[in-house]
Amino acid sequence: MKLLNLLGASFSMSLRRSMAFRINLVFDVLLAFVGLGTAVAPVLIVFTQADTLAGWSKAETLVLIGTYQLITGLRGTFVDPNLSWFPDNGIRNGKLDSYLLQPAPSLFLASLSLSSPLTLIQLVPGLGVLGWGIAVADVRPGPAGVLGYLLLVAAALVVTWALSVLLACLAFWAPKLQLDVFYHSAWQLGRYPTDIFTRPLRVVLTYVFPMALIASVPSATLLRGAHWPVLLGAVLAATVLSALAATAWQAGLRRYTGATS
Amino acid sequence: MRTFVLLGFRIRQEVLEWSGAWWFLATLVVQAVIGPLIGLFVWSAVYPDDPTIARYYVAIILVTLMTESFEQHTFSERIYDGTISHELLRPQPVVIGVLGANLAIRAWLTFLGAPVVLLTGLSLGTGFDWRSVLVSLPAVVLAAALVFLLTFLLSMTAFWTQRVHAVVGFGHSLIFLFGGTAAPVGFLPDLWRQVAELSPFYAMSGLPAELAAYGGSVWSALALQLFWLVVLLAAVGLLWRAGVRRYTAVGS
Repeated sequence: MKLLNLLGASFSMSLRRSMAFRINLVFDVLLAFVGLGTAVAPVLIVFTQADTLAGWSKAETLVLIGTYQLITGLRGTFVDPNLSWFPDNGIRNGKLDSYLLQPAPSLFLASLSLSSPLTLIQLVPGLGVLGWGIAVADVRPGPAGVLGYLLLVAAALVVTWALSVLLACLAFWAPKLQLDVFYHSAWQLGRYPTDIFTRPLRVVLTYVFPMALIASVPSATLLRGAHWPVLLGAVLAATVLSALAATAWQAGLRRYTGATS
Repeated sequence: MRTFVLLGFRIRQEVLEWSGAWWFLATLVVQAVIGPLIGLFVWSAVYPDDPTIARYYVAIILVTLMTESFEQHTFSERIYDGTISHELLRPQPVVIGVLGANLAIRAWLTFLGAPVVLLTGLSLGTGFDWRSVLVSLPAVVLAAALVFLLTFLLSMTAFWTQRVHAVVGFGHSLIFLFGGTAAPVGFLPDLWRQVAELSPFYAMSGLPAELAAYGGSVWSALALQLFWLVVLLAAVGLLWRAGVRRYTAVGS
C-alpha cells in the first residue's frame, strides 16, 4: 500500500512537471499516431496481398499490434524513465546513491519512482487499434478469452518490468555495457506474430527473451480462447522473472560501492 | 581542396574516436538491421517461394547500414548544450564536423554490419548479379547523401524545438514506410505506389536496393535522386541561415 501511495505521488508530480511543457504534448500526440501508423500500415499492405500472415488473420494481427502498443506505452510511461540508460544515469552519475539513502525499497525507487505521463497518450491509438481488431474479428471474444487476456497482459507487464531490471542489473558487473539500443531494437520483434519467424528465433522469442508473451500470446488468447497451460506458463514466467530480477538487484547492490563521495 | 583536406582529417579523427565504442556501434548495427530483417520475415511468410524477396531485403539491409544518419545526436545535442558555438567560431564550415561524424559512423556500421549481411545472404541462398550491384553504387552514394541531408535538415529544428528526436523520428518513419523497408514499393496499393516512387524516401532506400537486386534503368533513378538532392540542398541552406540567426548562446 505504501508503495502504491508512493507510485501515485510520483506520478502526480511527474504529471504536473510535464504539463508545464504543453507544446511537447502536441509532439507526443503526433508521435504516438505516427508510431502506430508505421506499425499498422505494413500489416494493412500485407493483407492487400494475402488473407493471412503465418496463420494470423487481419483481425488477430490488429489486436496484436494494439496490445503491443498498450504494453509499450505502459513501459514508456512507468519503466523507461527510470531504467533507460541505467549504466550512465544510475551508476556513473551516482543517482543510485540517493535512492539507497531513502526510506523505501531501492528496487522500487530505481525502477518505478519516475514516470512520463505524456507517454500514456500512446494508449489511446493502441486501444483504438485493439478495438478495430475486435470489431472486424469473425468471432467475438468470450468471457474466458477476455479474462485470460487481462491476466496475460498483467503477466506481460511484469515480464516487461523484470526484463528492464535485469538489463539494468548488468550495469553492476559491466558499467560500460550499454544495451538500451539493442533492447529497444529487439523489442520491435514483439510487434508481429512470432509465427512469422524461423523456428530457432521463435524458440528464443518464446523461452529466452519472451517477446511472445508481450503481444502474441495475449492476442491469440483473446480471439482464439484461453488455454490453462498457456495462462499458467505466463504466470510462472512472470513470477520467475520478477524473482530473478529482485535477486539480481540484491546481488548487484552487494557489488556496488558507490559513485559519489 | 582545403575543405576536402579538413573533411579527411575530421573523418580520421571521428573513426579513431568511435573505435573505442565498438560495442555501442554493434548495438547501432542491430538497430539498423532489425527493421529490414522484420520486413524480410514478414514478406517471406507471405511469399515463401519467392527468392527475390530475400535478395531485395539483403540489399535493403546493406543500403540501410551504408546510409544511416544520426545528426539528431551528433548535431542537435550540440545546439542544446551550446557546444555548437565552438564550431561556429572555427574558420571552417560547421557542416564539416557533422559530415565527418556521419561518414565515420557509417564506415563503422558498414564494417561491423557486413557479417550480418553476409550471414543473411548465405543462409537464404541469395545470389546477386554483380553487374547490377556495381551499377547501383552511384545510386547508393546519392541515397546516402539524401538521407544525410534529410536528417540534417530535420535536426536543425533543434534551433526552434526541444523535440528534435520526435521530428527526426517522424522523417525516418516516412523512409521506413515509403522507402521500401516496410514493404517493397511494388507491393503498395496503386496510388500509394505512385506517390512513393516519386518521393525522396524511395530514392533514399528502396531505389538503390532494387537496382542492386533486380537491375533496371539507372539513368531515371539517378535523375530522381539528383532532383531531390538539389531540393534538399536548397532547403538545408535556407534552414541553416534561419537557424543560425535564431541561435543565441551565453557563457565563455
